[in-house]
Amino acid sequence: MADWFTLVAIFLLLTVAAALVRCWRGPGPVERIMAAQLAGTGVIGVAVVLGAARGDAAFLDAALIGTLLAAIAVTAFVRGTAKPGAKE
Amino acid sequence: MTFAFDLILCLMILGTAAIALFVRDALAAIAFFIAFGNLMGLAWLGLDAVNVALAEIAIGAGVTGVLLILARARLLALGDAATSTGSPLLLRLGALAACAGFVVLLAAAVLSIPPESGLDRVVAPLMPGLGIENRVTGVLLAFRAYDTLLESFVLLGALVAVWSLAPAGAWPGRPADPGMADAPMRRVAGTFGQLLLPVALVMAAYLVWAGSDLPGGAFQAGTVLAGGLLVAGMGGTIGLPSSDQPLLRAALVLGPVVFLAIGLAGVAAGGLLVYPAGLAKALIVTIEYTLFLSIGVTLALLVAGPPMPGASDPDPEGKG
Repeated sequence: MADWFTLVAIFLLLTVAAALVRCWRGPGPVERIMAAQLAGTGVIGVAVVLGAARGDAAFLDAALIGTLLAAIAVTAFVRGTAKPGAKE
Repeated sequence: MTFAFDLILCLMILGTAAIALFVRDALAAIAFFIAFGNLMGLAWLGLDAVNVALAEIAIGAGVTGVLLILARARLLALGDAATSTGSPLLLRLGALAACAGFVVLLAAAVLSIPPESGLDRVVAPLMPGLGIENRVTGVLLAFRAYDTLLESFVLLGALVAVWSLAPAGAWPGRPADPGMADAPMRRVAGTFGQLLLPVALVMAAYLVWAGSDLPGGAFQAGTVLAGGLLVAGMGGTIGLPSSDQPLLRAALVLGPVVFLAIGLAGVAAGGLLVYPAGLAKALIVTIEYTLFLSIGVTLALLVAGPPMPGASDPDPEGKG
């Protein structure tokens, strides 16, 4: 069972890599931040699956902290943009 | 299977670090810095160092990312293009030499540690005397409490340094309003702040409590609290207090002072920072809860920046 979880973790890690390609290509600030958020979501997924593979519930705390703080970066980014809906 | 996972993770960490360093656009660099922090957190999880992973995800990816995004917005507002420009060749070569030298020293230090000399075997037999099970907390709050005590004062010193950057006439005022300028956006962020701040508070209180026996602790919890305060500040849910408010000052020094007082009281039990037998866990939890409050407020104010002239606030209610 742990092997299956590790396999899923590898797959999720590859989706994070795909999200980072989007982050690299952009082109606009909004795309970059949303891609970084997607990568963050993927990382949280990897943490959960890794915790299941190891049978360690503390991994879930790491995933929870990541979830809680990821939203703050977006809020800070939206605050920095000049007009709502504008892509700077 | 695990080897494949580790290999892909290592390649991604090196890749995100390189992009964050070499990309010209500031926002792309920040986005990759956040991704780098998250992946580093995964690496620490992979090494079963969950305490470090919590700190890396909370501080490295979370609050530092917010700080960088706000700093970029401030640079843009000041008219800076927020893209890196070329620097003199000599400066770049000098920086390269300094960084390379530091990496070599660090690698030599790490490689010189014999693999069998882990701290764990020294600490493990001493843990029953403390009544807690998390060995990292045991090292931070008991066996090497001196370091942690000094660190808590360093954080306070950093805030004093930021405050000393206040322009003439602004002291003792409020930091610039971190709230959204646009009214509809402010309402959305305000609702979100009202939702997130209580959740952050519960999560942080849990992390301190869990820190005695499971991964967690005051620094991670303080960072989560700071994140909640920042969102609430950006939505206008809480107003930033002026820097001479007594309640705020009390919240800032509470943790370090309680830590110092308990440490000094330890002289009666045998020496500085010695906990009396049987009371160790109660004292450690007391220190951690007060420290977490101070760390959270200090980190939030560090991100908010120094007092600014004319930074009036519609909501005079302080957050201390």
